[in-house]
Amino acid sequence: MDRLDRLRGPEPPRPHDARAIAALAANPGCARRAVLDAAGVDKDAVATHLGFPAPFGRSPFAITRGDAFEALVKEGGGAELLRLLRELLGLPLPLAGYTDLADVGGNPSAHLRHSHTRRLIDRAARDAGEAATLYDHPLLRLEIAGYHSYLEPDVVAFQLGGRFHIVEIKSFAVVDGQAEPDKVAAAARQAAVYVLALSTLLAELGHDPSRVSHEIVLVCPENFANRPAATLVDVRRELAVLRRQLARMTRVGAIVEPLPDTLTFDLGRDDGGVPRRPVAELRSAVREVGARYAPDCLNTCDLCFFCREEAAEAGATDLLGRQVRDELGGVATVAEALALADGSLAPDDDRAEIARLLRLADRLYAEVS
Amino acid sequence: MLEISGTGGNHWYAPGVSETLDALEARISALRGEIRRAVRARDGALARELRAELRGAERAWDRAVAGPEAADPAAGTTERAGEPASLLPVREQVHQALTLIGAPAAARMIVAVHAALHAGSLGGGRLASLRRDEERSFRGAPYARPYYLCAALTDRLSASRGLFAVSTWPLERRVVGPLSPRVDFLTTAVRVAEHVLRLAEAGEPAAPGAERLLARLARNVPGATGGPGRPGVPAAPDPRTVVKAAHAELRVHAAADAAARADIAGRARARLGDAERLFGGLPLGLAEASC
Repeated sequence: MDRLDRLRGPEPPRPHDARAIAALAANPGCARRAVLDAAGVDKDAVATHLGFPAPFGRSPFAITRGDAFEALVKEGGGAELLRLLRELLGLPLPLAGYTDLADVGGNPSAHLRHSHTRRLIDRAARDAGEAATLYDHPLLRLEIAGYHSYLEPDVVAFQLGGRFHIVEIKSFAVVDGQAEPDKVAAAARQAAVYVLALSTLLAELGHDPSRVSHEIVLVCPENFANRPAATLVDVRRELAVLRRQLARMTRVGAIVEPLPDTLTFDLGRDDGGVPRRPVAELRSAVREVGARYAPDCLNTCDLCFFCREEAAEAGATDLLGRQVRDELGGVATVAEALALADGSLAPDDDRAEIARLLRLADRLYAEVS
Repeated sequence: MLEISGTGGNHWYAPGVSETLDALEARISALRGEIRRAVRARDGALARELRAELRGAERAWDRAVAGPEAADPAAGTTERAGEPASLLPVREQVHQALTLIGAPAAARMIVAVHAALHAGSLGGGRLASLRRDEERSFRGAPYARPYYLCAALTDRLSASRGLFAVSTWPLERRVVGPLSPRVDFLTTAVRVAEHVLRLAEAGEPAAPGAERLLARLARNVPGATGGPGRPGVPAAPDPRTVVKAAHAELRVHAAADAAARADIAGRARARLGDAERLFGGLPLGLAEASC
């Protein structure tokens, strides 16, 4: 743990939200991200200090829209949600209980809210007769690399066959039964984080963790109206990736071990909180840990522009996307690939096959153009 | 109510065009003066009302100056400018809406019901500080007002987030058990449907907002919309069907909900003082003790 603290510097570790944890699962091969996240480094501040501020922070319009849609779905004791669950899962009529777990009066701490959630979920798992059906604003907890992160799923629904379902409310539209695959995948990854946190909670309380369904209920506006519709999404795959990634983070020591002892991502903030560390020094520190850039990073990682710049400088094949990079296995740069294609670079044994393909592609390209 | 506002709007430009314009200009400048005074007195709510009225008057002026053919009386009937009803204090308007709903309601629902059934608009933001003001008023001089807008009580006897209630209601109606949000929602649907029905029986045309609200509520009451055959088609639901369907589901929940409410109300009576019973008790200690 000391090692990670040293990497981070004197600042407190940054808590992870579900979005950040889900992003971890999106690029499991990136050592840079694994190390920075495990150490709880504020990646946004690092990227800004390096001169590559990330395009993050969602648009305020998107946030307002999301909040308004969520409020619509939960209005009147979850009236819309009950209708959807009755249609989708055949929820029987008498099960209509609704408990707002954030409603503990005043503005209490995350810790208090979490213990309240724990108590009520425990009661629900123990005695189905007394449980409510919808639990709004539960606060779950997940241990990430030794630190607790608090997570707030939209709704947890219970008693659909004695199992808990995570309900995720998203404001992107499902038009004619189709939604943007990227957004659905992101929602599924995020929901998988909640599923994991809830099953961990049940296991801690001594219940069967498999009572959390791996099918989540995704609620989106249907077609061009604001009317919500629900679908079941299976998140088993996302859950498996997430488990593996989190296990990897706890074993992050193996990645950290070969790094120099003096390495730190401390920004050297002065009393006013302004970063004072020389940019060149920080840059070489960040470069000590290898990244695995892919164009998808632009959607999920604060350091994306820095890594893209680095990949462009090196002329790396990473820039061309995962699929091309994997096809060009063993060829690290674009220049190398071109040299292999026009025969100016003689391939060694390992790359004979890919060189043959590249020369073929080059010949075809010459004929066509 | 819209009828009255229509005639009220029309008489401005009924006599001669120039005379109307003079009257309107006088009204506009008077309104501007009132807005200045309201802003100086930091009465944001009143200033907003007046600004809305000013915009209405300016639109009427635009119509009048454009000539009599543009001054379509039909357009005047949809104008709500200068509506006397909307000059009621916010707490009166909220009380009206809550009395109609007959159950604790969130700000959104109050605004929706008010917009649908009464003329004049009630901004959601104006409800934000209402409960705190009411509590201060009550603690200053208990029971000085005939009613207070107070909180609904959760099963931890703390004030429920965002729910408004009326102090004259029995405690059982003001507490929130696990099934109560659903029961209150169904009650709201019944009350709105009955209101639309009453209007229809009196021969009044139902406001389009009321029909829309009823349709929105009915969608989430099983069996209240003509049948599941036509999903996505916004048909106007029959208020009688809505009442019947909502009562049918209410019967399912009634016993369990009443028991939970009686339990919470009993605890509230035993543990809370007058002010806490209306505006919620100390949350933290009780939250630990009662769960």
